[in-house]
Amino acid sequence: MEYLLSKNVEYVCECGLLKPLTNLYFCRHCLNLRCFFCCHHEVDSHFCRNCLENIPSGEAKLRKNKCNTCFDCPSCTLSALSARATTIQVPMTKEVKEGGEGSEIEASSGKMVSKKMYYLACLACRFSSRDVGISDQPSQNFFWPEQEYMHAIRFNTILNHYYSVVLHDKQLKQEERRRRSTKQSKFPNMTDRTGLNVSAIRRQMGFDKSAAKPKSKPTAIAPSIAEDVDDLPEEIFTQPINLKNITTIQQRFTQPANQPESVKHLYPQHKNLSIKRSIRCRHCEHNVIKPEYNPTSIKYRIQQFASSHVPEVRIIKCDQLVPNKSALITLKITNPTMNDMIITIMDLPTEEEEKMMIEEMRKNFEKNLSVSNKSSLMRPSLIEDSRIVSCKITAKLELPDSSFVINQRDDSAEFDDDVQSDKKDPKFILWRKANKIAIQLSITPNGELKVNDDVKIGFSMNFTYSSVPSSTPEKKETQRYALCARIYINAGKIVQ
Amino acid sequence: MEICDMYYNKDEFVETASGNKVNRQTVLCGSQNIVLHGKVIVDKGAIIRGDLANVRTGRYCVISKNAVVRPPFKQFSKGVAFFPLHIGDHVYIGENSVVSAASIGSYVYIGKNVVIGRRCVIKDCTIIEDNSVLPPETTLASFMKFNNDGTIEGGQGTESVPAAMQDLMVDFTKSYYDHFLMAKS
Repeated sequence: MEYLLSKNVEYVCECGLLKPLTNLYFCRHCLNLRCFFCCHHEVDSHFCRNCLENIPSGEAKLRKNKCNTCFDCPSCTLSALSARATTIQVPMTKEVKEGGEGSEIEASSGKMVSKKMYYLACLACRFSSRDVGISDQPSQNFFWPEQEYMHAIRFNTILNHYYSVVLHDKQLKQEERRRRSTKQSKFPNMTDRTGLNVSAIRRQMGFDKSAAKPKSKPTAIAPSIAEDVDDLPEEIFTQPINLKNITTIQQRFTQPANQPESVKHLYPQHKNLSIKRSIRCRHCEHNVIKPEYNPTSIKYRIQQFASSHVPEVRIIKCDQLVPNKSALITLKITNPTMNDMIITIMDLPTEEEEKMMIEEMRKNFEKNLSVSNKSSLMRPSLIEDSRIVSCKITAKLELPDSSFVINQRDDSAEFDDDVQSDKKDPKFILWRKANKIAIQLSITPNGELKVNDDVKIGFSMNFTYSSVPSSTPEKKETQRYALCARIYINAGKIVQ
Repeated sequence: MEICDMYYNKDEFVETASGNKVNRQTVLCGSQNIVLHGKVIVDKGAIIRGDLANVRTGRYCVISKNAVVRPPFKQFSKGVAFFPLHIGDHVYIGENSVVSAASIGSYVYIGKNVVIGRRCVIKDCTIIEDNSVLPPETTLASFMKFNNDGTIEGGQGTESVPAAMQDLMVDFTKSYYDHFLMAKS
């Protein structure tokens, strides 16, 4: 698990949050790191995560974002219910009625026939639909009886009322706008003075009645009247409570319409749908991630993972860390791109420099916004200011004295024999293999650190990035950029 | 954290022509029904029950120490029947885990001490946390993560399973295989 979700090495996203590289995206158009937090999220498709059926968004809305066929266990609220088959003995008569005529004689014989019946059971907590008195159903895919809600009708009338209120408001607003627009006309309109405006012509032609739509009035609802509430029954104070029969808060929240108090009223609930989402950069509104619609597909139509654009840093090993004593840390840097990279490791910016960077970023963005706003139909995104990185460095890192090159990624390289390059590498480079390189740096933990304190180091990594040629005519050729990533590493804990 | 080198003695493991590395102290029942598609590591104490039904794994799978891979059964009115178990490529099964799933997709990470109930369906690019128990007949859709408190979270485009899970698992299983070395004597 550590390999996949390791938080030892974290990169600074442009919004100022620290994230492992696996949780970051790279916007190809802004050439910046983006994270889950500082992007737009859009629902791409709905699906049921139990039956893996894709449900179009319109239908999902109709079904209240619930799956028609799958049920959640109301008792443990975690796992899905599965249909179990049982056989029961039924007298022949029932079958015969369905079978139609011609078998009347058999009906009277009173033979018993076994028939398959289904019930729902939770295989995690042993809840079953029989517990709450739902009778077994003859078919697995039969529509199970829906639970009825006490206030369903009332809710529907209120909902309809508010729909009509919205409609009414809309009409009023439209009318208002129409009235105002005739008055505030910029240019003097001759037809107005001569009484030949549209409405007058309509009236003359006799279209008047049909044109003026009847104004919709909100449907009336009876306001709810507070009833006298009865006093609590005596038993509440006298009878001991059996907590096993009372539902938990979690169980009640899964049935918001009913919120049953007793476990006897826990009915199977339709499973909520899951979504696939695409993620969009807030600055340039290009997608960084767009999955395929098919629920079982793991492919992407657009994928801009940071891990395939930005060099990846991993810790190979670190010496024992003691305050004020230098220790060696070995890092592996991988170049995931198809071009050679020149990497320079530098100090992190100071707080003032960081503030200036944020200020500059905002100015840049505002400039871009004013340019793009004229053409874009979309509403401009709300951008939060970047924040200052909250991580404090607790060790001094000795920077390597020169920059170095990492070879491009070559998928066929794993079949080749290791070829040692003749290039003379600086001392801090331990080895290189294909597109990977191991460097050794020395760190000195601060003096005030105590046992079990985390030792944090950080550096800025400047790297050259070659853009992938895109289909747009102005960007046909690969362009080279110098980019910078800020990296914070948790080297380990102080030992004594 | 990078994977450290793991060394084994030459007489502990059998390496096949396709690169499978199988410990001698494993229980492979019904070995004619077990297909390991190459570069699969089966570590010490693992049990694969090929005698119950076919077991097939893809390339670059890791079956760690004391893991049990056991085809699932279904109860019928006339006894039980076992179903074949298919495991995709680049799947890691942690130590002491018991796997009785109907199918496991590719790029799946199963932690240690996990129990996967019978006839579970585990899709591609999923993570199962350490110490979790999957009830029988659970479906884990792709890009979902099963937590050890029994909840399922995630989905494509969330943070619980990395978006680049496929590349990560390929990296992980390949480097696990590359770091699984014979000790020089």
